[in-house]
Amino acid sequence: MAELLIKNGVVFDPINGVKGEKMDICIRDGKIVESLHDEHGARVIDASGCVVMPGGVDAHAHIAGGKVNAGRLLRPEDGRRGLEPKRGVCKPCTGYSVPNTWATGYRYAKMGYTFVMEPAMPPLTARHTHEELVDTPIIDKAALPLIDNNWMTLQYVRDENYEMLSAYVAWMIRATRGYGIKIVNPGGTEAWGFAKNCGLDDPVPHWDVTPADIIRALAHANERYEMPHSIHVHGNMLGHPGNYETTLRTFDVVKGISASMQRQTMHTTHIQFFCYGGTSWKDFESKADEIAKYVNENEHITIDLGSIILGDTTTMTADGPMEYTLYRLTGRKWTNHDVELETGAGIVPFLYSSRNPVHSVQWTIGLELALLIKNPWKVVLSTDHPNAGPFIGYPILISMLMSKKRRDEVMKEVHPAVFDRSSLASIDRELDFHEIAIITRASAAKILGLHNHGKGHLGVGADADVAIYGISHEESDAGAVQRAFLNAKYTIKCGEIVVKDGEIVATPEGRTFYVEPECEESLMNEVMKDIERLFKEYYTVSLSNYPVQDVYTPHPYVIKAPMSG
Amino acid sequence: MRQIVFKLRDGALRSGAAEVPVDVSPLTPDKLFGEGEDEIKSTKVWWGNRQENVERIFEVSVSGDASGAEEVKVVFEGELRKVKRIGYEMSAGEIVAEGSVGMHCGARMRGGRITVNGSADCWAGCEMHGGTLIIEGDAGDNLCACYRGETTGMTGGTVVVKGNAGECIAQYMAGGEITVRGNADMLAGLDMKGGKIVIEGDAVMPGANMSGGEIIVKGKVIDMMPSFKYEETVTIDGEEYKKYRGDFAIGEKKAKGTLLIRS
Repeated sequence: MAELLIKNGVVFDPINGVKGEKMDICIRDGKIVESLHDEHGARVIDASGCVVMPGGVDAHAHIAGGKVNAGRLLRPEDGRRGLEPKRGVCKPCTGYSVPNTWATGYRYAKMGYTFVMEPAMPPLTARHTHEELVDTPIIDKAALPLIDNNWMTLQYVRDENYEMLSAYVAWMIRATRGYGIKIVNPGGTEAWGFAKNCGLDDPVPHWDVTPADIIRALAHANERYEMPHSIHVHGNMLGHPGNYETTLRTFDVVKGISASMQRQTMHTTHIQFFCYGGTSWKDFESKADEIAKYVNENEHITIDLGSIILGDTTTMTADGPMEYTLYRLTGRKWTNHDVELETGAGIVPFLYSSRNPVHSVQWTIGLELALLIKNPWKVVLSTDHPNAGPFIGYPILISMLMSKKRRDEVMKEVHPAVFDRSSLASIDRELDFHEIAIITRASAAKILGLHNHGKGHLGVGADADVAIYGISHEESDAGAVQRAFLNAKYTIKCGEIVVKDGEIVATPEGRTFYVEPECEESLMNEVMKDIERLFKEYYTVSLSNYPVQDVYTPHPYVIKAPMSG
Repeated sequence: MRQIVFKLRDGALRSGAAEVPVDVSPLTPDKLFGEGEDEIKSTKVWWGNRQENVERIFEVSVSGDASGAEEVKVVFEGELRKVKRIGYEMSAGEIVAEGSVGMHCGARMRGGRITVNGSADCWAGCEMHGGTLIIEGDAGDNLCACYRGETTGMTGGTVVVKGNAGECIAQYMAGGEITVRGNADMLAGLDMKGGKIVIEGDAVMPGANMSGGEIIVKGKVIDMMPSFKYEETVTIDGEEYKKYRGDFAIGEKKAKGTLLIRS
């Protein structure tokens, strides 16, 4: 394979401690290498005056699966936005908040992103999710199966049979070709089957367990293996005023559990939706400071932002009761979905309006969190695509985080409630390119455990995923920053140039990453008896038709997770 | 004044046994007023899934000059039933279609005037914001509605249908005025928020889900929505109308639509 040399760029590679140094990057056979064999034969990219970073890593974006597709069906009007005809190497694109798979791949690549985690895969629809992931070009991806509202999980948690739970989790991750454990409104989604919801310490209807029990048990199960990622938690009471106390207590649930790898024990996702004070929408306020304080003082928690992009979007989550609340609030259309024994989902279109005091305060919270949490390694930039806004809005967030001036300008345009109910106006911190490189790639890779598998950095041996942004490392103009991060000058994926001057020039197929936890055989045999019984008695599919086969992961990257010693 | 005539060539839309529609949205006064004859002839239009030169499909003749779109008259001739998106997004000038036209005629139009000397297929005047659309024959379903999933349809302009209109006309209408000289099929003014519809013939279930605006029915109302409340009898132009408010099915506070039915 041809060699590639990226010359004279200013490199930000936080995992390797490279902080804005002018250096060359050598690429061969899809990997970063020390030096080239043949410097004259290599293709050279002159990155003078450009910022060079590892390919972006998104830890949380709903890009594929039954829920996303239901969103596309529910919102034909969204399909009209972002229409692009077939052109060059690109297939036709549609959609803004729920783009088609091709648009998803192209737009991420144009922003310099090369890895995306689909964070909510109902196990029963794992095939659908993988099919869409395969159809998403360029980027590498993985998916987290929803394991928390599953009847088997609830049963083992109730019986305090954590060994069997860990074996079950291992089987489920393997059967779905998943990457780790996703938890969404533990207990609440099950309760929603009976038109109820659950607080952190409320018993789940018909099961003598609480959401806190579920989270704790699954964290233990996760740490029995050398899983690259911790449990990935969307807690209880998302989007309810006053929920920040629940959030803080959720953080405490896993305190003291030791991680099997060098990482957090809980990743709490789109935390913006969990930072709300007040008792109703009338006295709603930001409690981002409280959440940031906890994260600053504790090492076992990492977060992603779920920051709001003002404008129209589609909310979709396995948190069925929350979506119903949202539907009642907006009066717009709603769809709800139940996945037998396992989980469910709801979808509602939503407009985050700058004239609305609540939405405006919500908008400040994501930014507050990113700026108040001192250690950027605990933070990942996200919009919980498409819940708080489409991923295509990341460059807007980056420009705001880098420019106090930009934030002040926008604060003048949104509802004045932001000055009383949020601390954003008083925060002067501006992130630099190094910190942006952390929250958009390095921290995400580390939190997902992907840095050990060649993602999120440019060290020798890493995947040659490189983003080159046409902007000076000294640039401070927010508009220029936003433009540069929206359309990378070059994106290189596994050594191949996929974006040049903001245009897609090649569309290789990305890989699917999945984890194989290695459970001892005797325990697995025992858990299989329970699984067989469950399928016989309850499931509408037979067990032999359940696990995802090889054909759904044509470009696999398998990570083995042995039992932790 | 400039006149541009597009005469559909016989059989030009035929592909095997099928007749494939052509999308003429690039052929509006806005886009053509400054173009030379050759440029007009080589304008690309979508024919099915492929782009073709206008000249392959239409005989083009151009006369006169114009300094702006408002001085241009575009005429379509021939069998136009598979010619769609006539006058799409146009803002000025005039288009005349000599015959019945395909879908989406006058959709998203902002100004100017379109006259259809025949009938118009579904989605005519969709999401129209201004201008005038005259249909001498019948109009299909979803006249002046919005596209699927949107929540705002026609916001301005004037539409006159001299024949009958199809189902769900003016869905989510927010402004402007529509006159149907004949009958309107089911659910005229569905989800209507504003504007005015005059139906001179009969209407079936008009005004369902309406939260604003006005619907006047001069003929019979068939299957009147039960969620409308009679208020009073009013006199308009010397004729008596029963005035109803609705649609209470969406809640009492939101039910601000007016339905007037000639007694």
